[in-house]
Amino acid sequence: MTLDQLYQQRILEHNKDPQHFGPLPEATHRGRGLDALCGDDIEVALIVQGERVVDAQFSGEACAVTKASASMLMSWLIGRSITDIPEAYEAFRALLANPEARANELLGELNDLQPVGAFPARRGNACLPWQATLEALAPALGKSV
Amino acid sequence: MASRAATTAAPIDLGAIRAQFPILTREVHGQPLIYLDNAATTQRPIRVIEAIDDFYRHTNANVHRGVHQLSVEASEQFEAAREALARFIHARQQREIVFTRGTTEAINLVANSFVRPKVKPGDEILITHMEHHANIVPWQMLAKATGAVLKVAPMDSKGVLDIDALVELMNERTQLLGVVHVSNALGTINPVTEICELSQQRGIPVLVDGSQATPHLNVDVQALGCDFYCLSGHKMYGPTGIGALWAKAEHLEAMPPWQGGGEMIRYVSFEETTYNDIPHKFEAGTPNIAGVIGLAAAIEFLEDTGIEAIAAHEMALLDYATDALSQFEGLRIIGQAAQKGPVLSFVLDGAHANDIGTIVDHFGVAIRTGHHCAMPAMQFFGVAATARASFAVYNERHEVDAFVDALGRAQDMLKP
Repeated sequence: MTLDQLYQQRILEHNKDPQHFGPLPEATHRGRGLDALCGDDIEVALIVQGERVVDAQFSGEACAVTKASASMLMSWLIGRSITDIPEAYEAFRALLANPEARANELLGELNDLQPVGAFPARRGNACLPWQATLEALAPALGKSV
Repeated sequence: MASRAATTAAPIDLGAIRAQFPILTREVHGQPLIYLDNAATTQRPIRVIEAIDDFYRHTNANVHRGVHQLSVEASEQFEAAREALARFIHARQQREIVFTRGTTEAINLVANSFVRPKVKPGDEILITHMEHHANIVPWQMLAKATGAVLKVAPMDSKGVLDIDALVELMNERTQLLGVVHVSNALGTINPVTEICELSQQRGIPVLVDGSQATPHLNVDVQALGCDFYCLSGHKMYGPTGIGALWAKAEHLEAMPPWQGGGEMIRYVSFEETTYNDIPHKFEAGTPNIAGVIGLAAAIEFLEDTGIEAIAAHEMALLDYATDALSQFEGLRIIGQAAQKGPVLSFVLDGAHANDIGTIVDHFGVAIRTGHHCAMPAMQFFGVAATARASFAVYNERHEVDAFVDALGRAQDMLKP
């Protein structure tokens, strides 16, 4: 896996111009993704109505991989049922763990992050926005994560 | 720009130095390894590796416990290492050297055995804003358990300790001052001799975290005037998992043991135990014998090469790298004290430290990224993380060039 595959155009674009980046004052659920060792500290803010995510934003400071992952994830989350998210996270982790894995239809654009899996020291960055999301949703999902 | 007094040391033979470090011949991602993460841990010269190998092949036995030949030889080598370390840091007596797992354990020993028995609620422990977590967290734990208060002396925007403010924080309730000799995150060399003098005038004992100092500075614990000096083997070309506490003998005599077990006792019955003499009183259990012997080999390497020559070489690299990095647009060096160890911490606009670390790694360059176990220092500078290049005796100018090229590539890739 080469460096260019990690820092591919899509990831760099999301890093420079992240989508759904900024505050969401009306959020119903919030979760923090903190990786102090790397210097990543983000907040995921969601508006959930019924079981559906109707808006998602992230904020904070993070590396390109975390930012790109968060940017893609926020777009992906909007319109999803919260009960589908833990399973999707498992699918995402499986995608990173296996460089040979085929793109998972469920994950859409998030498949573009698969090359991160070849950089073990950076997998945690790609997963951090998911963890913040699941922390935000823990009360709604009725269990701790 | 880092500046320092001129040295008269003869230049080192870099080829001969590098030949002693087998790891420097390996490649990373198809590129020659350029190892600039020396403040995290240095590499080991072959004599350290061979000393450990030789011990396990030919001498392995427990120390201070047997009459058989191997135990006698192992004990002799173990105590010879104590003597070497005592000489290296100019301790008055070798019984003032207590072997520990490293600096962290040495500080915890002082916290639990020296400070804790005498500290009362409202008493104070004084540290500085640039301490490593190892010289923060043990004191926080102690404060929480005893009702003592942790006081923090400030630094300025260059990462220089504010000595006047430090003195103002000293008072009759201060039970100990803990100060880092050379900051791992900023490079700052603190004026420890002056600090100790000011502290001793007020009757406050001083603990010095010397983990980043011993590979670069001539450390003389008596001239420094401190009470406790802590060091780690792996920062000074020795093995991991071994380090030491140096303390004035009168302190060690008065301190109760911290951990109980074998070795630290003279006599045990179920009714009563008599403790061993210092330093053995503080070395419960079978120690890291091979580590101690490897540490002695590392000290021999430092003495053969010469600390002054090592420092002169590293400082020339630091100056060269500082100049090169200063040419980068949007680059800010974190830690700009006039007196610095060979540590270059920086942030670059639009490029997160983590991404810089990954990109330069692909050009074979190993640097550290993150908070460097000094989160309060990072918070002071308003950054979550920095990238840090740190130099050792085996680094070369062309390695700095390669690092600077790789950093340029990172900046190009990540530019906003």
